[in-house]
Amino acid sequence: MSNLLFLLILLPAVAAAVCYFVRSSAVRTLTVLATGAILTAASLALLGQETQPLTVGSVLGIPSDFLIAVLDFALLGVIFMYGVKHKSLLIQGFTLAQAALLAWFELIMVKSAEVPAFAVDQISLIMVLVVSIIGSLICIFAIPYMKEHEEHLHLKKSRQPQFFFFMLLFLGAMNGLVLSNNILWLYFFFEVTTLCSFMLIGHDRTEIAIKNSVRALWMNSLGGLSFVIGMMLVYSKVGTLDISAILAGGPQGALMVTGVGFLCLAGFTKAAQVPFQSWLLGAMVAPTPVSALLHSSTMVKAGVYVVLRFAPAYSGTLLSDGVAVCGAFTFLACAALCIGQSNGKKILAYSTVSNLGLIICCAGLNTPLAITAAVLLILFHAISKSLLFLCVGTIEQAIGSRDIEDMRGLYAKFPRTATITIIGILTMLLPPFGVLMGKWMALEAGAANIYVIIMLAMGSALTMVYWARWGGLLMASREAGAAREKQAALISLPLMTLCLGAVVLSLASPWIYNSMLAPMFNAPPFALSFGSLNAATGSFAVVPLFLALGLGALYAVKAASGFRKVKIVAPYLSGSNAGEEGTYIGPMNGPVPFSAGNMYLGELFAEGKLTPVFNALAVALIVLMLGGAL
Amino acid sequence: MFGSFIKKSRAKSPWIMHFDCGSCNGCDIEVLACLTPLYDVERFGIINVGNPKHADVLLVTGTVNHRNKKVLKNIYDQMPEPKAVIAIGACGNTGGVFRDAYNVVGGIDKVIPVDVYVPGCPAKPEAIIDGVVVGLGKFAQKVEEAE
Amino acid sequence: MDTLILVIIGLVAGPVIGGLVAGLDRRVTAWFQSRQGPPIMQSFYDVAKLLGKEKMVVNQWQILCAWVYLIAAAVSVGLFFAQGDLLVIFFVQAVGAVFLVMGAMSAKSPFSQVGAQRELMQILAYEPVLILVFVGIYLVTGSFSISAVWELEQPLLAKMPLLYLALGYALTIKLRKSPFDFSTSHHGHQELVKGVLTEYSGPYLALVEIAHWYETVLILGLCALFWSTNVFWMAALLLGTYALEILVDNTMARMTWRWMLKRVWLLGMGMSVVNLIWLYAG
Ligand code: SF4
Repeated sequence: MSNLLFLLILLPAVAAAVCYFVRSSAVRTLTVLATGAILTAASLALLGQETQPLTVGSVLGIPSDFLIAVLDFALLGVIFMYGVKHKSLLIQGFTLAQAALLAWFELIMVKSAEVPAFAVDQISLIMVLVVSIIGSLICIFAIPYMKEHEEHLHLKKSRQPQFFFFMLLFLGAMNGLVLSNNILWLYFFFEVTTLCSFMLIGHDRTEIAIKNSVRALWMNSLGGLSFVIGMMLVYSKVGTLDISAILAGGPQGALMVTGVGFLCLAGFTKAAQVPFQSWLLGAMVAPTPVSALLHSSTMVKAGVYVVLRFAPAYSGTLLSDGVAVCGAFTFLACAALCIGQSNGKKILAYSTVSNLGLIICCAGLNTPLAITAAVLLILFHAISKSLLFLCVGTIEQAIGSRDIEDMRGLYAKFPRTATITIIGILTMLLPPFGVLMGKWMALEAGAANIYVIIMLAMGSALTMVYWARWGGLLMASREAGAAREKQAALISLPLMTLCLGAVVLSLASPWIYNSMLAPMFNAPPFALSFGSLNAATGSFAVVPLFLALGLGALYAVKAASGFRKVKIVAPYLSGSNAGEEGTYIGPMNGPVPFSAGNMYLGELFAEGKLTPVFNALAVALIVLMLGGAL
Repeated sequence: MFGSFIKKSRAKSPWIMHFDCGSCNGCDIEVLACLTPLYDVERFGIINVGNPKHADVLLVTGTVNHRNKKVLKNIYDQMPEPKAVIAIGACGNTGGVFRDAYNVVGGIDKVIPVDVYVPGCPAKPEAIIDGVVVGLGKFAQKVEEAE
Repeated sequence: MDTLILVIIGLVAGPVIGGLVAGLDRRVTAWFQSRQGPPIMQSFYDVAKLLGKEKMVVNQWQILCAWVYLIAAAVSVGLFFAQGDLLVIFFVQAVGAVFLVMGAMSAKSPFSQVGAQRELMQILAYEPVLILVFVGIYLVTGSFSISAVWELEQPLLAKMPLLYLALGYALTIKLRKSPFDFSTSHHGHQELVKGVLTEYSGPYLALVEIAHWYETVLILGLCALFWSTNVFWMAALLLGTYALEILVDNTMARMTWRWMLKRVWLLGMGMSVVNLIWLYAG
């Protein structure tokens, strides 16, 4: 097992170095492809392994804990330097504070014996799979994407080596983060992801990219600071760095729970919960693979992972309710903000934050049902969301816009991309797919808490609206014999894999649940029979639903594919159709071309007006949450 | 069995689309009168729809002129088969009092095939209902011939 | 086995009941307007006729969406008769609603585009209320499964009167009755023509119509749950509710979606929340 863990964490780092130093694009392509393949294989192999904690003795004669400590300070130094370079007092302040506290913590407070550095459990296994497989697919997608991206920019010297360096390093850091059992190691990887995201967001070096990357860095440094404080508080009570020992002990008094509260706050910043959502929205300026990586399999998932990881340590406390309410509020607030958006990437960003809120809400609800919901949501959201990001990236390179109004009728010209996007959208919002199943579990778990359920009910309706209209506007008529759409192999491979994965894994979800999630609990929330998940509170007949709706949909597709045989007529335009579909004869006997726009409910859901209100409310809720911990 | 039920239903559910092709509104008012409680054509399953794609019977009032003949044709083409056309009033039948006007093409049948002509200026509601009933007969006949 | 038989009964009886209710609806409406109205069987004639018409579409999406709408509606009724989970039933029903909207958006027709956007507003209005109603049922019975409702000693209505009113609100919207008929106007010759339904024609319109019958049955079934202890009272409740729906439908003018959103989110949600607080406290 130890070899696999090293492979999962160190291989991406080594591959990253190769990409950085060898500037040949062929070598780079090969490295990325090989790394992706090996990571996928290694993460799958990990599934079949006995899980036991693993101690890392020393590397090249240096004790590993010491090495991590040194690297920690080196990392803080680098971040501080960037703070100086971009003249951001916030970054400087937060990193200095972190460094001071960390020094105190490591030199004076910590005097414990060796702690196993890594441990594998169900949650981290699923996370490793998500990171290694989805992350690799995104990196593969990035190869042709970045080539075209740089052609647009007319760079003298390619910056792809640096780009792939951070992309791959990110994967390694994420794997390290989810596998860590020593809280200091967790902190180290947490900080590495902060740095990587900063570098990737600012990759294009435009003014706006730099501004947004600096914002991301200060918000995440705040998270880092909060993490250090949390770590210290928890340690002062529990006296161990061993995460599994901390979790096994459960909540132990106000001080310790407050510490966990700070850890959750760190998770909130990373997961871009309101009021920290602005850094993730700003991250859109980066090339699309970066957004896909940040939004689906890495970074933000690190945030929810931290909150979820420590869930046993605050179960049954007021903090737990606080986390649930904060999460539910983010779910609602971001869904509301999303209604007013027409920028495709922004819609995806808000919906990510909204879904992360749902996951965090589940962690806060802290019942086996809710935790199951959270893990399933992490998995399925990662698949569908990365797919959608890659779709938007592909569409953007095809039509030169990421506005969904410009995507209207995309099917006419790009049937393949449009169809995949539609499927991606459907897997995000409809049964029997995984994301909806997670939402269903969340609703059933949240029904016990009135504040949570009201917010979830409203957020759920808003979600439906912004997805449905996006899916609908992609559909259009296509002329018989229009030119076929071409897709590069390295573009369509990730798209098809993710698309298939979203569907097949949803179908397999009862077994995923049974083999990976049920063993986590003493009293598993569901019993499995005939491919449906049954509980006293309700049941989701996954396989029967798949059969009924799937066969139905297949029949519908078959009926639809014979449409050239039925009579095709133009839409009804009061009898004055002219020429092209949708055009009618208007004033002065001239043609009026078809145009349409969605209702964005500007007067109700204006981003500018709502954001400050939501931010203020969220800050109040977070203060309440931390206060509740005391 | 289902086939015969469909056949029977055709006569029991004629949805009409009313197109004013330049009438003086006299005939239109009479058409609408058919829907009032006094005549209540919904008894026969008749519904006044606003969309050729949903309609079985096209009721046209007024004369066709050069400007709206395209519209009339388009609406007729957008009706799915089987369908029937009923021309209403003297204008719809022949051009009526406007037939000599410089811009008038003439009756409806100059542009699209007409199944039933309902005379009158304006046509009486009873006559219109009668026309629809005759039209349904024709329409059943047409379906039979097609088969 | 019993479940399977129930599901089959539901799938067969669904459209029959739905069609009869639609026929009855038109009869009662005619009676309100002192007309005689069409025969009770009229909706079946209409659909049979539509099925026999020529197939005519703008593009293939409409065929796909009409079929999926029907299938989803049928599956949700099947699940209802299988005593399934209320939230799942609702989400399956939502599949149909989403596809209907998407199909309408696929055509370059101003009428169906406007209808689709308004239909989305309707979804936005009724969905949270319905979810809260289900939460209320969960709080009373301890489960989201319908089977738990039949074990109650006391009708749900006694514990959830305000939620029933809120449900009534949501149902009027779901059935697209006045004053909420702005996504497909009742009378096809208004500014909107037929909204989302404008471009569906012939057999595909028939599919949509049958799906609508299924939805009506689903909705009546939901109402029936509120008096599960006594068949007689259940029937009375259903009759009363539907009669009220028809009355409202005939006496109200069409309102705007803004009016609806504000009204429903404030009044409907307000009533639901008050009732829920009561249930949580109790
Ligand atoms: S027939 Fe007479 S009433 Fe009818 S449109 Fe012509 S002029 Fe008017």
